[in-house]
Amino acid sequence: MTAVAERPAETRAEAPIETRPVRVKIRRYVPELNPEPYWQTFEVHALPTDRVLNLLLDIKGYQDGSLTFRRSCAHGVCGSDAMRINGVNRLACKVLVKDMPDEITIEPIKGLPLEKDLVVDMEPFFEAYRSIKPFLITYGQPPTREHIQSQADRERFDDTTKCILCAACTTSCPVYWTDGQYFGPAAIVNAHRFIFDSRDEGTEERLEILNDREGVWRCRTTFNCTEACPRGIEVTQAIAEVKKALLYRRV
Amino acid sequence: MTAARSYPTIPPVIESPRSAPNRPRRTRTNTELYAWLFMRVSGIVLVVLVLGHLFIMNILDGGVQRINWGFVAGRWASPFWQVWDLLMLWLAMIHGTNGLRVIINDYTRRDGTRLTLKAVLYTATTITIALGTLVIFTFNPDMGS
Amino acid sequence: MPAVKRHSYDVIIVGAGGAGMRAALESSARVRTAVLTKLYPTRSHTGAAQGGMCAALANVEEDNWEWHTFDTVKGGDYLVDQDAAEVMCKEAIDAVLDLEKMGLPFNRTPEGRIDQRRFGGHTRNHGEAAVRRSCFAADRTGHMILQTLYQNCVKQGVEFFNEFYVLDLVLSEGRAAGAVAYELASGDIHVFEAKAVVLATGGFGKVFKTTSNAHTLTGDGMGIVWRKGLPLEDMEFFQFHPTGLAGLGILLSEAARGEGGILRNAVGERFMERYAPTIKDLAPRDIVARSMANEVREGRGAGPNKDYVLLDLTHLPREQIDAKLPDITEFARTYLGVEPYTEPVPVYPTAHYAMGGVPTNIRAEVLRNNTDVVPGLYAAGEVACVSVHGSNRLGTNSLLDINVFGRRGGIAAAEYAGVATKAPVPPGVESQVVATVQRLLESTGGDRVAEIRSALQNTMDMNAQVYRTEESLKQAEEDILALKARYVNVAVTDKGKRFNSDLLEAIELGFLLDLAEVLVIGARARNESRGGHFREDHPNRDDTNFMRHTMAYRNEDGSITLDYKPVVQTRYQPMERKY
Repeated sequence: MTAVAERPAETRAEAPIETRPVRVKIRRYVPELNPEPYWQTFEVHALPTDRVLNLLLDIKGYQDGSLTFRRSCAHGVCGSDAMRINGVNRLACKVLVKDMPDEITIEPIKGLPLEKDLVVDMEPFFEAYRSIKPFLITYGQPPTREHIQSQADRERFDDTTKCILCAACTTSCPVYWTDGQYFGPAAIVNAHRFIFDSRDEGTEERLEILNDREGVWRCRTTFNCTEACPRGIEVTQAIAEVKKALLYRRV
Repeated sequence: MTAARSYPTIPPVIESPRSAPNRPRRTRTNTELYAWLFMRVSGIVLVVLVLGHLFIMNILDGGVQRINWGFVAGRWASPFWQVWDLLMLWLAMIHGTNGLRVIINDYTRRDGTRLTLKAVLYTATTITIALGTLVIFTFNPDMGS
Repeated sequence: MPAVKRHSYDVIIVGAGGAGMRAALESSARVRTAVLTKLYPTRSHTGAAQGGMCAALANVEEDNWEWHTFDTVKGGDYLVDQDAAEVMCKEAIDAVLDLEKMGLPFNRTPEGRIDQRRFGGHTRNHGEAAVRRSCFAADRTGHMILQTLYQNCVKQGVEFFNEFYVLDLVLSEGRAAGAVAYELASGDIHVFEAKAVVLATGGFGKVFKTTSNAHTLTGDGMGIVWRKGLPLEDMEFFQFHPTGLAGLGILLSEAARGEGGILRNAVGERFMERYAPTIKDLAPRDIVARSMANEVREGRGAGPNKDYVLLDLTHLPREQIDAKLPDITEFARTYLGVEPYTEPVPVYPTAHYAMGGVPTNIRAEVLRNNTDVVPGLYAAGEVACVSVHGSNRLGTNSLLDINVFGRRGGIAAAEYAGVATKAPVPPGVESQVVATVQRLLESTGGDRVAEIRSALQNTMDMNAQVYRTEESLKQAEEDILALKARYVNVAVTDKGKRFNSDLLEAIELGFLLDLAEVLVIGARARNESRGGHFREDHPNRDDTNFMRHTMAYRNEDGSITLDYKPVVQTRYQPMERKY
């Protein structure tokens, strides 16, 4: 049996595999109709292979077409569907329903302006990302072929290249919740990816940016970001490495 | 209500491309770095100073019962204990103040509140440090006798 | 009525995946450029590509671009336009080196150069043995390409309009003149006037149920061009990737087999030895997918329903799996609860890539017929059909395609915009889009988008997948026509302006239905088996009658006319395809 959600309700009911009723409690917000957010609960029959995203697609497809959320790849590599699922930031496409209790609470990620239902304005998040110069900076003549980089040097920043910019880490950070000007874990992770890249010559500039009042020193090492990262990046570790680089001015 | 802050009101039209928030101009100082480093270093030093202090005051030689005017006078006659206590006072006060500064930065949302709270904090710190320092250096064992 | 806003640029690029952003880097360095995307750029499906990008760098063993060209042509079952394949394989080397200089963190050899590994269908010296040609960054090469291109767009200050859904192309005096877009956040309509338009909107895998494609891959760019009366080429050729997670369709890269993974049937037999004795599991995707489907049909499938085969990685060292295939092994753990260190992973073919699309020449210019171009209109990536992939794309050649032809498209569009005058944009060009949006919002029909879409995907999976017959395709065509009739009354329950994704899905469904129909009609007319198109009633390749591209045109009344275009052959004469 497949877990593709777009299927008629009747086949879902007739499915040979046992389905399980799940209550999905969603924080709705439709400013055009109601200035206040409210809770709405849907009942869905989940297949054993279903992910939370499948439940949302099923609700949107067959119960309430106005339910709004972002989604694209549906297997955890595009970063569209970060949301708060039972109180923790997760990608809806990576949480299996079989690991969830019978009632699942879904809210938008916190700390970014809410637009509608589970959709938030991502612009402040990307602004922070852009402001740490997330690109390779080199001076002088480029090599005729590729840059030479040892396997060990390549390994040094491997972890932070995994980032998909889903914002799960940044919007799980208590400092970010109260201070939207903090660069946030995701921006620091992406700075880390270049600071520790042996080919990069912009380390000083980037470290200077992160030495700011809203930079790495605001991190309180609560580890929420590491816990939230759907790619398994050691986010807090990466932030600590940037702090260390600043302290010793050496990478 | 689980959100930590109320959601902002939504403008009627979202301009395109949507605008980003204003980030304050960068400071280009190492203040935050030094503050962070100070917290770690002072924390370690304070562990020695405070635990040593507690051991001397509460456990050694019959503990707290022997503490009186004369005991204090005896100790502060030595420059070593004067420096010990002075260091403890300053480090503890600045460590605590910086901690509160961080908390204020983290949790206040309005500039006015932040300014007020920090003013109160810094005033209290300055007065406490000044008074304590004064006492350590101007303590007169004959006072009151 | 929605508000209408106007913008003016030299070049607009529709889509911000690999091809779109590669084009943007070239175009924005030369002329005023805007990129319109219905997502955020980093959400594009380029990021889901895993295995690598082939180029004859010869970093680890002898190789040259001519062998790569041959493999591409043979892999495409000789339907490849060989001039285009030559261009792609020759420019591949610089494309990889450019990406490295932009910052892409490729895996390295012990000497510190870009590492390369084997990949399906890529061989040394015209088929002698598998060759290490694929440059990669673990099993997230596409992710790194997408990130690197976006990073360089940030560096260059490329102007993006995120979550702007392009719904119509503006053509004026036979030239491209801009596009009409719907802004998701506000529901406003935006008219973008431009001298040149580059389409880079990707594929339409969502016509199938089991697919590795994202929910957003609904063929919008092809659909728009189609409705303008411009042709679509070779739409019947759709690639089914052999190793999708069984039942889910989530992609497990060919790199798993490039690293030494083996496909086995229920009795543990390495069945590819029978189908492709020389390169076995690294045969091109169409052959492997069909072999797998055949194993299952002949009762040698694994699992309780005998409906999948097994990808065996258990003999590989754990360190190698961790270093080279971390993401895909995690997919197996997360989604199927299978531990690839110790257990074989259930896999089955999944709809993956459209070889066909908007016909272009090697300058990425869109063709209006077999020879003439639409001035100012360009296309690159999966939306386009150059055709470098012919009837079956080789693994890694899509990442190559987007970089080579994205770059070419960006340069060509900017150069054209530098000399061309602006075509006049007649007033009211947005009226058709406004009417469509209004009609859908005011629809009182009862047919849900999800129901129609699901029915479409079911019939496509059932009737137009790996194995096709006249009968099954006829069934699919009838189903699609019935669904198109239902679509007229499709229901949109969200009536709001802000982030109306319900409306969006209804519009996307319209494109899917159109494209599925073109696919099926093309497939019915092609009475042969070639590459990704396999007809059980015509199991052999027929070069006498079908060594030609299908060109489908939409008539005024909505019916479809098929025409043909000769294949460009330069060096290689068609041979029997054996591996």
